[in-house]
Amino acid sequence: MNEKSPALPKAQVGKSYLNWFLWLIPVGAAAVCLWFVGQDIIFTGPTITIYFENANGLEEQKSLVQYRGVKIGEVKTLKLTKDRQRVAAKVHLDASAANLARQGSVFWIVQPELNLGSVSGLRTIVSGDFINVQPGNGARTNLFIGAEKEPIQPIPGLDILLLVPQLGSLQPQSPVFYRELQVGEMLDYHLSDDAREVVIHARIEEQYAPLVRMNSKFWNAGGINIHVGLFSGANISAQSAETLISGGIAFVTPPDFQSAATNGTVFILNEKSEPEWETWSPAIPLHSVPEVVTNTTPASNLNKLR
Amino acid sequence: MQNLVACQTCGLVQEVDEIPDGSVIKCARCHFQIFHRRVESRVRTLVFSLAALILYFPANLYPIVTAEYQGEYSQTTIFQGIRSLFSFHQYFIGSLMFFTSMLTPGLKIIGLIFITLTLDWPRWKKGRTWVFKIIRVIDPWNMLEVFLLAICVSMVEMGQVATVHPGRGVFSFAAVVVLTLLATLSFDTRLLWDSPAGKKL
Repeated sequence: MNEKSPALPKAQVGKSYLNWFLWLIPVGAAAVCLWFVGQDIIFTGPTITIYFENANGLEEQKSLVQYRGVKIGEVKTLKLTKDRQRVAAKVHLDASAANLARQGSVFWIVQPELNLGSVSGLRTIVSGDFINVQPGNGARTNLFIGAEKEPIQPIPGLDILLLVPQLGSLQPQSPVFYRELQVGEMLDYHLSDDAREVVIHARIEEQYAPLVRMNSKFWNAGGINIHVGLFSGANISAQSAETLISGGIAFVTPPDFQSAATNGTVFILNEKSEPEWETWSPAIPLHSVPEVVTNTTPASNLNKLR
Repeated sequence: MQNLVACQTCGLVQEVDEIPDGSVIKCARCHFQIFHRRVESRVRTLVFSLAALILYFPANLYPIVTAEYQGEYSQTTIFQGIRSLFSFHQYFIGSLMFFTSMLTPGLKIIGLIFITLTLDWPRWKKGRTWVFKIIRVIDPWNMLEVFLLAICVSMVEMGQVATVHPGRGVFSFAAVVVLTLLATLSFDTRLLWDSPAGKKL
């Protein structure tokens, strides 16, 4: 021991703790990565290609695919096909919507539409156009031809044809009235084979189908009827405000009605009604269509939905 | 000759006996661990930078924010943001963002991993010093934290007009920021010239 230097304190010896848990940090990081990738695999459905005539309003990485108002996918890329005839839109579907990638599914672009008498797709003015889908149930496929517009919903009903010399103000979705109550609507129209008449395709809702008899009378209910009489003065009438601009069709059935009309029955669309028709008021039993149960799904069915 | 050490925490000079394997020494006065190099510098730096490297990928590949404004919906990754800056001819800001939030963090992480992995080979000493020099040069440009702050501020601000969800990217990004910080803190420069044989404490 040296005299000059006083005894120095001794450092303590302690146990060193294990540091293996430090390696949990990179392991945890890797686990997080795996979780992300796994989620991607689980929640990403197939990538499908839809060929559109034109992709007006669609944007890459932005436009959505919606079904029943819910986002089910998004547009990844938009490319012109080699023959420049179509636009190929690559769409990533969510896993929940993988079932929609089937033959028979129809995709169309929803755009704002302003028709006389009806406005649709207004939401897309602010939200951007999106792709809507009507599911089919064919075999799985990843290639689709996009439809021009929304396909006509297959609503059960009575399809009839009306012949008229001039289309006038009628247009698709013009209403069909019975006693001023809308019972159906016009679907589309085309020229007859010999180009002498316009053939109008109209659909009457199923529950009102019995109203249409083989001898029912149809007339154009659009526009304004102005009747000027010597004593009654001017009498102006219209079926409804809607028909003022979009036109409409009305019909009556005579009291001595014949058998019910079948699909594809052809009627003549008169220019206007005759006073006699207004007195007709036959009692016709309507179909009682069972109410479609929509909001009271039994609990047992809910399990199937998952 | 006695082994004399000074405690880094309270400055007390004290004697040290032979240290048995698997133990550490503690200061006689403040009971804090006495170390020759920063505690477990090598392992900690390696562990933190490895984790940062792993999370660097999701941070850059996944969207940072998902914004929804009146049904319009957009997702942006860091790289897409840089690209859109370039497409708006903001070349200076675009390249600044690329350097400070993509290139330098990546280089730094890889450099630290390289240094900690090659410590056992004295032959690589020159390479290590060289890498460390690069890290020193680029470190001031490593501004992940600033960028993270910018994202958070914009998320709060935009929350007034649009629905803004943090994407997966931003969590990974925040983790990368914290992990690089920890790696830098635990890295001891003196490891660079330590030879494996002369390892002490």
